[in-house]
Amino acid sequence: MPDKIKVLIVDDEVKFLDSIAQRLEMRGFDVTKAINGEEAVKWATARKFDLALLDLKMPGIDGKQVLEILKKEHKYLEVIILTGHGSLDSAVECTKLGAFSYLPKPYEIDKLLETLKEAYEARMRKKFELDGIRLQKIQQLATGNSALGILRALRELDNEEK
Amino acid sequence: MSRKYYRDVRRRNIARLLLTYFVPLLILIIYFNYQYDALVEEGRRLHLKSIAESQANTFDLFLTERLVNLGNLIDDPKFHVPPEPEMLAAYLEKLKRNSEAFVDIGYFDSTGIQTNYAGPFPALEERNYGSEEWFRQLKDEKKEFIITDIYLGFRQKPHFTIAVRRIISDQFVVLRATLDPEKIYEYITSLEGANEVYVSIVNSEGYYQVVTPHIGISLEASSIIPPRENRIGVEEIRLKGTSITYAYTWLKTADWALISQWSQATGEGLISGFKLQMILISLVVMLGLLVIIVFRTRKLVQMQIESDRAKAQLEHAAKLASVGELAAGIAHEINNPLAIISEEAGLMKDMMDPQFKLNPKLEEMTPHLDAIHEAVFRCCDITRKLLSFVRRTDVDPKPHDIHKVIDSVVDGFLGREMAVSNIVISKNYDASLPTVVTDTNQLQQVLVNILNNAVDSIAGPGKITISTSRQDEFLRIAIADTGKGMTPEQVDKIFLPFYTTKQVGKGTGLGLSVSYGIIKSLGGKIMVESAPGRGSTFILVLPFRH
Repeated sequence: MPDKIKVLIVDDEVKFLDSIAQRLEMRGFDVTKAINGEEAVKWATARKFDLALLDLKMPGIDGKQVLEILKKEHKYLEVIILTGHGSLDSAVECTKLGAFSYLPKPYEIDKLLETLKEAYEARMRKKFELDGIRLQKIQQLATGNSALGILRALRELDNEEK
Repeated sequence: MSRKYYRDVRRRNIARLLLTYFVPLLILIIYFNYQYDALVEEGRRLHLKSIAESQANTFDLFLTERLVNLGNLIDDPKFHVPPEPEMLAAYLEKLKRNSEAFVDIGYFDSTGIQTNYAGPFPALEERNYGSEEWFRQLKDEKKEFIITDIYLGFRQKPHFTIAVRRIISDQFVVLRATLDPEKIYEYITSLEGANEVYVSIVNSEGYYQVVTPHIGISLEASSIIPPRENRIGVEEIRLKGTSITYAYTWLKTADWALISQWSQATGEGLISGFKLQMILISLVVMLGLLVIIVFRTRKLVQMQIESDRAKAQLEHAAKLASVGELAAGIAHEINNPLAIISEEAGLMKDMMDPQFKLNPKLEEMTPHLDAIHEAVFRCCDITRKLLSFVRRTDVDPKPHDIHKVIDSVVDGFLGREMAVSNIVISKNYDASLPTVVTDTNQLQQVLVNILNNAVDSIAGPGKITISTSRQDEFLRIAIADTGKGMTPEQVDKIFLPFYTTKQVGKGTGLGLSVSYGIIKSLGGKIMVESAPGRGSTFILVLPFRH
């Protein structure tokens, strides 16, 4: 059985958070709930996620800040913004900050599932692309096919990434 | 505004204009009327005086003539004492030819006995007049002549006497004639001006001598006793509540005064005719004024109604515009519960979906239905608040707690918007403030506009401080934000219509200009203090009673 897709949902509306979490779990997602920005940040450092559903307007740390932190902590994570503020400006802004998509509340579940699917595919694609690039780099850096050469290449790559 | 309001405005305006136009006009009319009356009165007094004077002069002349008539007889060279009856009879004839007023003639010796007499009362012959006042005056005070007051005498008929005395052959003699007061009256009433006045003659004690029957009877006491200081004069006295003007002239020949007073009809008709004309002209002028005032006021009020209607429409539009600016926040407020409804409904559908094989019991649905119910009422609450804000309501002149009014805006409209925007509201209320009677609906609109701007200006975590205080007889509301503030140039333009610093499509530039108009119409002031990077403070100063 393949690993479940891990989703972090951040929203300050408890009822909304509970029901969407339940529905996604029923559809086979591994769901983590965060009731505000602080909790989301806490989870972001504690666990690995594939996808995140994020509300923008929240008391305390707001959606944009959480978005920035999540993108920093998780290289391949894709974030879908869910918000009642259906304005184009904030959509553009979030896209610039690296959000994958933007869904205004309320939405159709099918639309959300489709977006989640696209986001996951994008995540996988990115992961593969990056892994491919890495592989190419390792091949370029490795001198010969000896294990020692590969190890040296990996170390250099790590230094480069840092 | 109601019809009643405009009717009141119209009435007040008409009353005010009538007052401003009519009062000076009335004062002028009264003043000129008074002046005219005084002038006429003065003229009439002079006229009355001249009548009295000329009548008195004529009457004096008449009496002098009668004395001369009598003197001529006694100085007749043919006169001798005692005169024979034929001679006296001839004298009487002669006197009667001079004046019809002569009644009889008598001759008195030094003891005062009427030794000779000619006339209608022969019984008076041989009567002794020695103790009569007039005789004593002639004899003792050595008067050349005398004119007596009217008296009844031995004959018991009102008459008066003129007498002259002479010393003839060392003998004191008196020639006396009596005059008929009725003839005198006829004479007086035939004088010039007599038709305009009532004439009477009183003696120094104030008894009527000759009098017109309209005002008295001979020998009765007169109600008018003219002063002696001046020979001629005009006086006013009050008799039985009415004021009577009379002119008098003391005679030279006798100790009598001639009194003239207006007979009722004289003069009055002339004056009322003139006054009627004056009143008519005034009435026409006032009527003209009234028509113009009523017409103009109607027109003005009509213009006012149209302008108010236009203003109300603009205000309504501005209100809608400020609601438009609220829309972003409101959308969040409504979309969130809608999302809950959508999710809860979807979840229940999922639970019943055979593919998930959950086979739920009915009661498991209850919490989800409750959540939907609650979310529906959250939406409902928002729309109701919005409607109550947008709906135009007439001014409700009830005392309001200003803090409740502010809270209804801060908590009711913008509470969640501020919470999710991480804006802290700090309330610095003065609890001792009295209630406020003002148009709270409009005030709420102003607060919404200012707070909207504050939230936009802060854009992120920040603080809005609302303070209330008393400033003399005014209520002071200060709304300070920690936003980006404004440059002095922006502050100068902030209340101009269509001036906005927001992005195109975000602000109408109407909110603060309309707020400015509203606060002004509520009798207050709106001010702003701001500097770039140091936030803005809007200050409202309002009267407690508007």
